[in-house]
Amino acid sequence: MLSFIRKTSKTVLRVLGVFLLISLATPVWAAGPPEPSIFSNPLALTFIILMIILLIIIGILAYILIGAADLKLRKEKKPGASSAAAFVLPFLLLSGSSVFAQGGVKAEQTTVTATSSIGGMAASTFYIMATVVFLELLIIIVLLLNIRFLLKKEKEKIAEPVTEAEIAKVIEEKRNRLSWWDKFNSLRPVSQEADLDLGHDYDGIRELNNRLPPWWLYGFYLTIVFAAVYLWRFHVSHTGPSSKEEYETAVAKAELKEKEYLKTKGENIDENTVVFLTAKAELDAGKVIYEKGVCSSCHGTDGSGIVFGQPGVGPNLTDDYWLNGGSIKNIFTTIKYGVAGKGMQAWSSTYSAKEMAQIASYIKSLKGAKLPKVKDPQGELYKEEETKPATDSLKIINDSINAKDNKVAMN
Amino acid sequence: MQVEKFYYDNKIVKAFGIATVVFGIVGMLAGLWAAIQIYYPDSSLNLAATTFGRLRPLHTNAIIFAFVGNSIFMGIYYSLQRLCKTRMFSDKLSWIHFWGWQAIIAAAAITLLMGATTGKEYAELEWPIDIAITLIWVVFGINMFGTILKRREKHLYVAIWFYIATWVTVAMLHIVNSVEIPVSFLKSYSWYAGVQDALVQWWYGHNAVAFFLTTPVLGLMYYFLPKAANRPVYSYRLSIIHFWALIFIYIWAGPHHLLYTALPDWAQSLGVVFSIMLIAPSWGGMLNGLFTLRGAWDKVREDPVLKFMVVAVTCYGMSTFEGPMLSLKNVNAISHFSDWTIAHVHIGGLGWNGFLAFAILYYMVPRMWGTSLYSKKLATNHFWLGTIGIVLYAVPMYWAGFEQSIMWKSFTPEGTLKFQFLETVTNIKPLYIVRSIGGALYLAGAFFMVVNLVKTIAKGKFVANEEAEAAPLVKEASHKKEYWHRILERKPVTMLVLSLIVVAIGGLIEMIPTFLVKSNIPTIASVKPYTPLELQGRDIYVREGCYTCHSQMIRPFRDEVKRYGEYSKAGEFVYDHPFQWGSKRTGPDLAREGGKQTDAWHYNHMYEPRSMSPGSLMPRYVWLLDNALDTASTPAKIRAMQTLGVPYPEGYDKIANRDLMKQADLIAANLKKDKIETPSNAEIVALIAYLQRIGTDIKAEPKQTIAENK
Repeated sequence: MLSFIRKTSKTVLRVLGVFLLISLATPVWAAGPPEPSIFSNPLALTFIILMIILLIIIGILAYILIGAADLKLRKEKKPGASSAAAFVLPFLLLSGSSVFAQGGVKAEQTTVTATSSIGGMAASTFYIMATVVFLELLIIIVLLLNIRFLLKKEKEKIAEPVTEAEIAKVIEEKRNRLSWWDKFNSLRPVSQEADLDLGHDYDGIRELNNRLPPWWLYGFYLTIVFAAVYLWRFHVSHTGPSSKEEYETAVAKAELKEKEYLKTKGENIDENTVVFLTAKAELDAGKVIYEKGVCSSCHGTDGSGIVFGQPGVGPNLTDDYWLNGGSIKNIFTTIKYGVAGKGMQAWSSTYSAKEMAQIASYIKSLKGAKLPKVKDPQGELYKEEETKPATDSLKIINDSINAKDNKVAMN
Repeated sequence: MQVEKFYYDNKIVKAFGIATVVFGIVGMLAGLWAAIQIYYPDSSLNLAATTFGRLRPLHTNAIIFAFVGNSIFMGIYYSLQRLCKTRMFSDKLSWIHFWGWQAIIAAAAITLLMGATTGKEYAELEWPIDIAITLIWVVFGINMFGTILKRREKHLYVAIWFYIATWVTVAMLHIVNSVEIPVSFLKSYSWYAGVQDALVQWWYGHNAVAFFLTTPVLGLMYYFLPKAANRPVYSYRLSIIHFWALIFIYIWAGPHHLLYTALPDWAQSLGVVFSIMLIAPSWGGMLNGLFTLRGAWDKVREDPVLKFMVVAVTCYGMSTFEGPMLSLKNVNAISHFSDWTIAHVHIGGLGWNGFLAFAILYYMVPRMWGTSLYSKKLATNHFWLGTIGIVLYAVPMYWAGFEQSIMWKSFTPEGTLKFQFLETVTNIKPLYIVRSIGGALYLAGAFFMVVNLVKTIAKGKFVANEEAEAAPLVKEASHKKEYWHRILERKPVTMLVLSLIVVAIGGLIEMIPTFLVKSNIPTIASVKPYTPLELQGRDIYVREGCYTCHSQMIRPFRDEVKRYGEYSKAGEFVYDHPFQWGSKRTGPDLAREGGKQTDAWHYNHMYEPRSMSPGSLMPRYVWLLDNALDTASTPAKIRAMQTLGVPYPEGYDKIANRDLMKQADLIAANLKKDKIETPSNAEIVALIAYLQRIGTDIKAEPKQTIAENK
């Protein structure tokens, strides 16, 4: 009788497992391609996690139950068996049949409702998941009841006196018993080790001939299949991208996104539209980047071109001499593209257009401040200077006005 | 049957044991020092010999070949005699092997600190030492095979299979990778160039891990673990399958060090799939180790030897699972060039190799001195200190690697890079500090062991020749029907040949097409050979070990192209003997360094990196400003390059120095404009010439496309 219970409960477990897998997969298939993934919905995710946790609990409880029933079974074989089995069976049958019953209902639900949505997911999916969770809870209650019932009977029995022989027998059984870990690795009980001994003896080292752990072997096969599929995909069918293709897609995607972003932000500044930003906030922002970034390591912290008391690599930015033009547009261009071979790096990949405009404006603003104590010799590297007239400030304003006008006109 | 009496040679084991301990501590100290230099550059003492670029190769070579190498020989000399039931084939060869190996280590230490290096990771030693290694390896081989052939045990135990495979594969790897053309006594150029050099080097580099740090140590595990636990080996069947699968598959996996590089995609894919297939064979070793302990786990609680072994085998399992995962391209895109790799190798190095070596020492010393361990408690403390050390080392490095890599790849919504390179380095400085604390704890543990072993030795009496007896091997006319592999286990020479065939396949299939098929390395017309000055500068770059912190390989990623420029092409490296792609970016990539900075910037930066980039972790290279360039070597270098197929015009070696001085004068004049006075023959001038050249050839081709893109 009890062995029948064991079998039944195992079958129930199996059926439930398969059923749960299907119910997890169904909504994904049913929803079709537009839905990116069920995992993006927090409610669905919660449900799935809940289902898995409950399933694990069921697994553990079922395992305990099987163990308890097992123990019982052996006791039952002795004369004076109780009629506990008769008691347990209906419970299990009940839980089993309820699974099937509910399963039928669910299948119907899947096909019928697919229109309305609850909590951001299809109603059918919601109901299926809710039902599964409910079912799992129900099974847990049934299992708990069963276990409680079995254990209660056991406790009563323990009061009876136990003989030494019985204890020895239990220990022996324990040695022969295989834990889930042993089964998982297809290990034989330690007591049967002698059967596996190959009789080899190397300086006292013996060798057993255990079977390969199944998960290991099948895992090995799986990696070989993976290898074949991988090579097929990337080098025969070419459905996987090469390194170069991967790069090109990434860049194209990013550029599209950047353009969209800049469009919405309206900060599409370039060397043609840049203007001298005179607002204090903008200049301060420029100053922060100038000092925090590496501008100062070549041009000095004050723009004097003096680094650590020595003439730096970069020219003085506070005087009237420029290597690559002194207008805001020129400075912006120099920052953005750099000067090849002259040590000025292109900064467009480091700073945004807005930031480069701020830096350029800050540099421009340094001009008035001819105060610094340590000053670079006038006209350091002045081969190709572009001197600004004394009425510089006026021209800048004009420049910026023109630029603004241009921008307006363009808009 | 008459039982024969014979003696095991314990003296040679003792010698290798002492060498293991001494070089273990030396190697770890070098590592600790290098680790401290990363966050405290001035601890390099600003001396050429003790700067990171030279100290790091010293650390890796000392750990791999001196510490683990000696520990392998120690274990093999102990176990092989006992597994073959005979004394070593020749005491004389044993001692030639021992002293030869120690001489190689000493020569390696001196030459590496002098800056004599081939610039290929874990194969840095120059050609005379390479030849010495080959000779000593042959001596070891003869001694080992002699012992195996005169054995009193009919079959070879699994440990010996691993020893045989190790010997034959290391010989193959070492010889193929060390093909180089000598220029002078301590300078040579790799025979291979660029992509091909990279493929050969990482075929070697990866399999140095496989066949120097893994297979021999697995062999040791197969002997010492069942002995220490007194349990039978879990599965003979598993031994066979995992042994053959492991040695066959391992060889192929080298290209996983070159994912997303200029190596052809097909070779990269082979590296990926074979790495994945490597999981099970590697885990076979771990399972055979851990399941052997079944029924002995209560002993693990008591016995420090078993404690060390369990952690060692577990670390082996972890890193051989992590390795294949890192070989997946999408994971590798994050891990490569970052500290993640450093964490990964140290799980293997500190956990697997280190702990197993300690376990063997704790096991053997009391037995060879006929006593018991001085203090179990001290050994247990060593165990815990070491374990905490590993955790404190690895966790910050995983964290640092992941964080830095994510920072490299961060963009602002405007599409600009969010962080400058330097920011990503200074950000992980605290983690570097924690890492060195972890390393220091591990080293402290090793000192505990020294005390414990010295005290143990003091209370025992050394048994130089251990008595043993066994029946001689008799030739049986007919064997009853044996399992096929048992037949193989009786035939060591067949085993050797078969191992060689199995390990040769992967390398051949990957290398031959890369060398012979032209389409694998498309030529770029504008790529020209280096000028004599640039060539000299490049040799300085190699000598100072710049490749230990700077890569020269821009991968086709959006962030790398943004940060460094056009991604690297295979055709760009055809004159690079050796290739200098590097494997770690503590500093930025230099593949497109040419023209990015002025000559003056480089000059100042070499003198004091922090003057040009505040907060930089780079050491100072003050001696480059003072040293005079050795122009006498130029003709020989040009001739060597010509032999290697670099198209310098006929007779160019005679006029090369003239061109060299011309270019040097130009650079010196250029520096003068920036108020820097330097003689044109200073080493720094040659280095600047090289740095200004790197990666610029390709720019000569499609000039306007770059401008148009912006």
